[in-house]
Amino acid sequence: MQVDETKNEGLSRVYSVTLTANEIGERIDARLGEVGSTVRVPGFRPGKVPLSVLRQRYGKAVMGEVLEKAVTETSQEVLDERELRPAVQPKIEISSFDEGQDLVYTINVDLMPEITPMDFSKLELTRLKASASDAEVDDALDRLAKDFRNSEPLKKARAAKEGDLVVIDFVGKIDGEAFDGGSAEGHRLELGSNTFIPGFEEQLVGAKKGDEVEVKVAFPENYGAENLAGKDAVFDVKVNEIEEYVDTVIDDAFATNMGLESLDQLKGHLRERIEADYGNVARGRLKRDLLDKLHEGHEFEVPEGMVESEFEQIWTQYERAKAAGETDPEDEGKSEDDIKEEYRTIAKRRVMLGMLLSEVGRVNEISVGQDEVNRAIVQEAQKYPGQEQQVLEFYQNNPQANASLRAPLMEDKVIDFIIEMAQVTDKEVSAEELMKDPDEDGAPAKKAASKKSGAKKASAKKSAAKKAGAKKAAAKKDAD
Amino acid sequence: MSWKYLNKKAVSKERMYDVLLSPVITEKATLGGENNQISFKVATTATKPEIKAAVEGLFDVKVRSVNTLVVKGKTKRHRGRIGQRSDWKKAVVRLVEGDSIDVTTGL
Repeated sequence: MQVDETKNEGLSRVYSVTLTANEIGERIDARLGEVGSTVRVPGFRPGKVPLSVLRQRYGKAVMGEVLEKAVTETSQEVLDERELRPAVQPKIEISSFDEGQDLVYTINVDLMPEITPMDFSKLELTRLKASASDAEVDDALDRLAKDFRNSEPLKKARAAKEGDLVVIDFVGKIDGEAFDGGSAEGHRLELGSNTFIPGFEEQLVGAKKGDEVEVKVAFPENYGAENLAGKDAVFDVKVNEIEEYVDTVIDDAFATNMGLESLDQLKGHLRERIEADYGNVARGRLKRDLLDKLHEGHEFEVPEGMVESEFEQIWTQYERAKAAGETDPEDEGKSEDDIKEEYRTIAKRRVMLGMLLSEVGRVNEISVGQDEVNRAIVQEAQKYPGQEQQVLEFYQNNPQANASLRAPLMEDKVIDFIIEMAQVTDKEVSAEELMKDPDEDGAPAKKAASKKSGAKKASAKKSAAKKAGAKKAAAKKDAD
Repeated sequence: MSWKYLNKKAVSKERMYDVLLSPVITEKATLGGENNQISFKVATTATKPEIKAAVEGLFDVKVRSVNTLVVKGKTKRHRGRIGQRSDWKKAVVRLVEGDSIDVTTGL
């Protein structure tokens, strides 16, 4: 085996490796010998097949296998000998090979940069804390009560008004013909809920119990069913009952209805939930803060290849979003090059943080156990009620998906580890302050910050979601 | 002696291909390799001189000797009915020292 270093620049190395025909021949013969001891060839007892026969019969098949193995083995050897730590899977390209010829291939590898983690104990972080105020709990309680309100028939007969629930039978007709799906009996329709075609509900306002109303509406042009879109229809509606909503009284009875013992307990639950939400947000803020600090605190070279592939991922996402018409208002008016430049910095940041985190994880022997992954899978499965089984199977049969769950877990663990070492000061803040996007003032900074790096693999999807989430939150704030 | 041995005509190219049917590749046949012997399945009508001419003509080697034997077909039962496998002729051809044929590559 002969190895030449053809490129040594920054973090990238290129080696050209030559394996002589002899070396390969030996490997092939050895492999053929193994095959020969088990294979059945007519005319021979197993294990008694001469090599020449084997070579003729299985030579081609074994060749590919042997080549692959030889390449991986020798490339590993090359890396080991030089004590190189590749950051990504080395790119191996076979430049020339023919039967009976020398095999020449090149290894293109990006090295892991020397990372010296900063002294985490010098990190100063602020953990925001917000407790749920009574008003918020009450708000939540009201919302809950509204979801569970009941409707009762009117005690005193009166005309239906907006907000009432009418129980109706109706038959829809176009040109005097009843059409499919246009009829129902005993349908409960809330007036003003806009669940029916525009105009329908309004015409029922003022109807009394037992009334028969002829409702004339036109289906909108963009109606879902094509044969109906844009047509005028007449609905013969009979109002069977008018009901009104009765506000649920918030008391212990309500709590018991919800399966709890007392109103206080219900309130406690709600408070817990709200505070857990705040906790998540706070953790997100803390994490982002930490990542920002880590990013500032470290300076090391990043393999160009990784940045490039990360960038490609972001870019395809961006293109897709653009195709779907979901462009970022911030990006409007910018030239493509500017946007590319911007995303490239983001990609670099992601890669850098990803590498730093994995390095910290490696040095401190932080690992994610299978049981933790399993828990994550179960959680994931619960998000798809009714399809839990399929989700579980998907993750079981799909190591890549498995890894995509593992990555964020790992990231979280490392972050926890760092946070533990850092000096964290707790700070009580109000809920509004907690929810406020800290980066609202600077647009580019916001982008960079909101797109934090995942631990390599999962980053693409996840951070896209995160980005969208952060943006939405910000947009909402603006709207408010 | 039968007329087929006395009727010495030059063996035509077509006849050569008809004579040699396939190499015999078995454990026993490969043992012959030590003595520079190669086994062929040949036409049952083929004679030793024909086989010699065919091997020399097709493989461009010198043949030292040819031994032939007829492999008797086995009697086989299939669904209770008795069947007879065909007989075939095997020729063990010994080449002159230094010459060789890679039988595995086929004709």
